[in-house]
Amino acid sequence: MIQILKGLAHNRHLLRDFVVRDLKARYVGSSMGFFWSVVYPIMNLFVYLFVFQIVLQMTWSPDKSSQEVVLLMLVGIVAWTAFSETLSRATNTLVDNANLIQKVVFPSEILPVYITISALINLIIALPVVGLALVYGMMNPPTDPATVAAAQASGNLGIQVGAALVWLPVLLVLQGIFTAGIAYFLATFNLFWRDTIHIIGVVVTVWMFLTPIFYPADRMVTEGFGWMLTYNPMHWLLDMYRGVMVKNIAPDLQQLALFAGVALVSLFLGATFFSSQRERFPDLL
Amino acid sequence: MYEKKSREASTASAAGGSAIIARGAGKAYRMYEKPVHRLWDLILPGGPRGKEFWAVRDVYLDIPQGATVGIIGENGAGKSTLLKLLTGITRPTVGEVKTNGRIASLLELGAGFHPEFSGRENIRLNCSILGMTEEETEERFHKIVEFSELGEFIDRPVKTYSSGMHVRLGFSVATTVDPDILIIDEALSVGDEHFKGKCINRLNEFQEQGKTTLFVSHDMGSVKSMCKHVVLMHEGRVLEQGTAEDVADEYLKRAHVRGNERMSAINRTTDEYPRWGSGEIRTGQVELFGPDDSATNVFQPGSPFRARIHFEAKETCKQPVFGLGVYRSDGTYVNGSNHLWRRSPIELDEVKAGTKGYVEMAFESLPLLQGAYYLTVFVYDHNKTAPTPIDHREHAVSFEVMDANHMQHGLLFLPTRWSVTVDGAEERVSAE
Repeated sequence: MIQILKGLAHNRHLLRDFVVRDLKARYVGSSMGFFWSVVYPIMNLFVYLFVFQIVLQMTWSPDKSSQEVVLLMLVGIVAWTAFSETLSRATNTLVDNANLIQKVVFPSEILPVYITISALINLIIALPVVGLALVYGMMNPPTDPATVAAAQASGNLGIQVGAALVWLPVLLVLQGIFTAGIAYFLATFNLFWRDTIHIIGVVVTVWMFLTPIFYPADRMVTEGFGWMLTYNPMHWLLDMYRGVMVKNIAPDLQQLALFAGVALVSLFLGATFFSSQRERFPDLL
Repeated sequence: MYEKKSREASTASAAGGSAIIARGAGKAYRMYEKPVHRLWDLILPGGPRGKEFWAVRDVYLDIPQGATVGIIGENGAGKSTLLKLLTGITRPTVGEVKTNGRIASLLELGAGFHPEFSGRENIRLNCSILGMTEEETEERFHKIVEFSELGEFIDRPVKTYSSGMHVRLGFSVATTVDPDILIIDEALSVGDEHFKGKCINRLNEFQEQGKTTLFVSHDMGSVKSMCKHVVLMHEGRVLEQGTAEDVADEYLKRAHVRGNERMSAINRTTDEYPRWGSGEIRTGQVELFGPDDSATNVFQPGSPFRARIHFEAKETCKQPVFGLGVYRSDGTYVNGSNHLWRRSPIELDEVKAGTKGYVEMAFESLPLLQGAYYLTVFVYDHNKTAPTPIDHREHAVSFEVMDANHMQHGLLFLPTRWSVTVDGAEERVSAE
């Protein structure tokens, strides 16, 4: 892992060039450009809102206004999109760059990382939309008497934005570390078993629906699936994101430390596997 | 390198030692019956599964700094794997490979070009892939753009480039990187003549600056024109290394064997070519003989050439005339003749049904240069108003001309006489 980190530091300019190229490539020839980073999560939001709130008539909890529910979902979608996009793209990244790995002496360790960083930057680009939604939500507190009463009873203060936002960069970095570890693993594993790229799409979808993004976490607990949340680091992460961005609650330090630990273990295992096999990459491709 | 040419090696080592050293280097790949077996090997005990395949083995090289070395061998001889080992792209399974200095490899020009981006953007990225710092890139950027001669295309997406332009840009970047060791894998075969000339100039500059160049090809001629030293690869091993002249003989011997195998494979399928005529006489096997009357299908320019056409008369036939046409593989009609239309014609009488025989046509010195050729053989009846086909067989036999010396270019090998006159006095004459 140390070797990988050194390689990344040494090739930081190349890494930056790859990230820039990737961000540009996404929008070269598209008329709306970076606007798509913003549109994509919003479209997703509307689809899931329609399915879960209108068709399935799901209520999160009586003390949450619809603005708050939309924001909780939006934050989840934005963070999850960066995660899932990285996994599916990173799995094939060594194969996609086979000509570099086979024809040039190339620091392949930057490949999974540039995809991770590029996805995080896209996440950051989408943040202003979340910000606008937050402002709108705060300016329009719930007026429905039932919601107000329930909120008073449970002590829900509604949408709150404040000092807890300073934790946001910490969460982003931890998400990056966690994702990069899995990305390293998947990219390497795919060389041994090319079906990985097909499996990963299914796995990511299943994981997404097992993570409370479109429904409240308590629902899983009451249905007896609480253990799934206990072992799902992405749930911990989304929980902290929501606290920081929507409720102005600093992350629970124990939870934060736990996620940081898992993220480091992920990076350690992924990078170790990657570097143990990297000499063989030109032969495996 | 080259125990045989220790003089060369010692002068080079005096200039600064070895650029590339390989000691017993070998590379084995594992071939799996099913791709998933590779996964079993990774996670399950009981391996290794699959068969080992040695792409390259027992390679000992010591290439002095400043040398220009050619690596030749047929397809599958291990040239590409050797290059990957020498460039450090892949590590040897056994033995070791050491290199001194920055390597630029033209294994694939423009590896990593992104089709959507402009030439300008791709230059920057490629430079950074090749390990240049930003300052270095900035410094050389102008030179690269200028050398590539892409003009306004430099600002257009690379996907709009022709393959020649692609190569030009790739070559410009790779050679402007200022490497200590340059490796070229027949990349120069693309591109127009003008740019080729520029590339050769650039390579010459490299040599003058005392940089090491490895040139990989399967064409002895082009290797010989550029490199004094040659390494001959065969089935993953270094078969011979030494001066181009030394290695060329061995190479040619092998090329002949291989060419004959290739030709006989082609000649087994000649039944598929058109054949027409009234059929009183049928031609059979066409044999080719080279120097010392040895049967061969591979010739050198200027070597003796004799074609023997066997025939059998199915019905009695009056005064048949045998002829032969020489074609280049692209269909160019090079030469045609028969035994009647000559200053001293051979006139046959009646050929009786059931008789067999053969006709021979010979060139004392084959006037063809490198390439693939074929013969069309025919028998015609010249008693009619116009010669009428009895048996016309296109593409009856194929043969190849190999030219290791490349003393002449083009289609025909012609006897030439050169002289140089200085101050009105003929100084030197060379007849060939």
